[in-house]
Amino acid sequence: MTLSALDPGTAPYLDLSDPTFSIRSEPVRQARAASWYARTPYGLAVLRYDDVQKLLRHPKLRQGSYLWPQHNDVTGKFATWWMSMLLCQEGDTHARLRRMANPAFSPKLIADLLPKFQALAGRLIDRFAKKGECDFIAEFSEPYATGVICDLLGLPFEKWRELADIAGDMGLALGVTFKRDLPIIEAATEKLFAYAEELVADRRANPSDDFIGMLVKANADKAQLSDQELLDMIVLAIFGGIDTTRNQLGLAMSVFIDHPDQWALLAERPELGKAAVEEVMRVRPTVTWVTRAATETFTYNDLEIPQGTTLHLFSQSAGTDPAVFPDAGFDITAERKAHFGFGGGAHHCLGHFIARGDMTEALKLLARRLRNPRLNGEAQWLPDSGNTGAISLPIAFDPEA
Amino acid sequence: MKVHVDMSICLLHGQCVIAAPEVFSFDDEGQLQWLADVDDGLRADVEAAADACPEQAIRID
Repeated sequence: MTLSALDPGTAPYLDLSDPTFSIRSEPVRQARAASWYARTPYGLAVLRYDDVQKLLRHPKLRQGSYLWPQHNDVTGKFATWWMSMLLCQEGDTHARLRRMANPAFSPKLIADLLPKFQALAGRLIDRFAKKGECDFIAEFSEPYATGVICDLLGLPFEKWRELADIAGDMGLALGVTFKRDLPIIEAATEKLFAYAEELVADRRANPSDDFIGMLVKANADKAQLSDQELLDMIVLAIFGGIDTTRNQLGLAMSVFIDHPDQWALLAERPELGKAAVEEVMRVRPTVTWVTRAATETFTYNDLEIPQGTTLHLFSQSAGTDPAVFPDAGFDITAERKAHFGFGGGAHHCLGHFIARGDMTEALKLLARRLRNPRLNGEAQWLPDSGNTGAISLPIAFDPEA
Repeated sequence: MKVHVDMSICLLHGQCVIAAPEVFSFDDEGQLQWLADVDDGLRADVEAAADACPEQAIRID
């Protein structure tokens, strides 16, 4: 029998609009055991690994947040960028933009950046290693995540604070106060475009094979990547790369504080750095769900999903699904199936090689130099849903001699 | 040029289909199809597909 997603039916209900809702709570685990999906105030939540994988790439679904500015009754510079940029495109336009962007994000280009990431991490750790304590977010993950973007763009590290503030102001657009904060968001968007224009002018004058240089090369054929699309792409790379990495590294530290034996193991065996990033993202992804929207009515698993339905694909719940991860304790030496912390399908995170590379280098170095990390006061957290992470994370560790 | 896809790690994201549509495609069942033996004229596209694969499941010989 086919049920409709509009029917109340017997499917579990999860109140995603409750500020205390947690993606890691017992009700989510119970819902996942009972059903592949749950109803929510904003459409469906998809809970199990296999269904998340299939729906991430389902041909009847498109990326789900393209109407966000419209839903908030907002127009302007941010809204125009949002609607035009890669993430909100589908089909041929999306494929063309993605093909143009790929060379700038290729794993080959990242290899050249790893020594810079190591140097950056080392420099930041030097500032607090002897103190035996720090706020991990303010003193490491935020300057590191932004410093990585500076390295990527070829900007001096000293620019990090300004870039972080611009990205933070622009990020207000993703929150519930979007419309109220619009003047701040518009000013930040303008500043970021001015940065992008400066970078492009520089590489046109001094051609290079770095990240911006590769995008400027793709722009040589304006039919493939127009001047506006070039700027939109650079703004996306900066906007998309800062908060996500900052949050994910804070989550990594928090998970390892709960698993000191794993941290000690990583210190001993730095070659596990890459696996450590994957294991953290499996159990504690900052992007706890990604959204899709139905472009037409279709039936999936005997459920009729009407056109326009929003689906929240729960990456966190998929990554801990006992059907796929029966022995799912946090273990950086375990062989695991891939997680969906970078989303998947056509919209799979474009910057994942950079993110994986920079987080691997950071965790390797942190594990070696910060021994016995522990909480040192009360951490402040974003809600445990949507894009999550710590706002502050005071930690103590054995001071470096 | 020979193209191999390790289907034990492929998650069917379709990034190869975007990068090299003349070589990779999805059939009606959503399964990945690809040309195992490809003319060298398409090497740049196939290399772009191998680079773009999030699971790094594509090998070129």
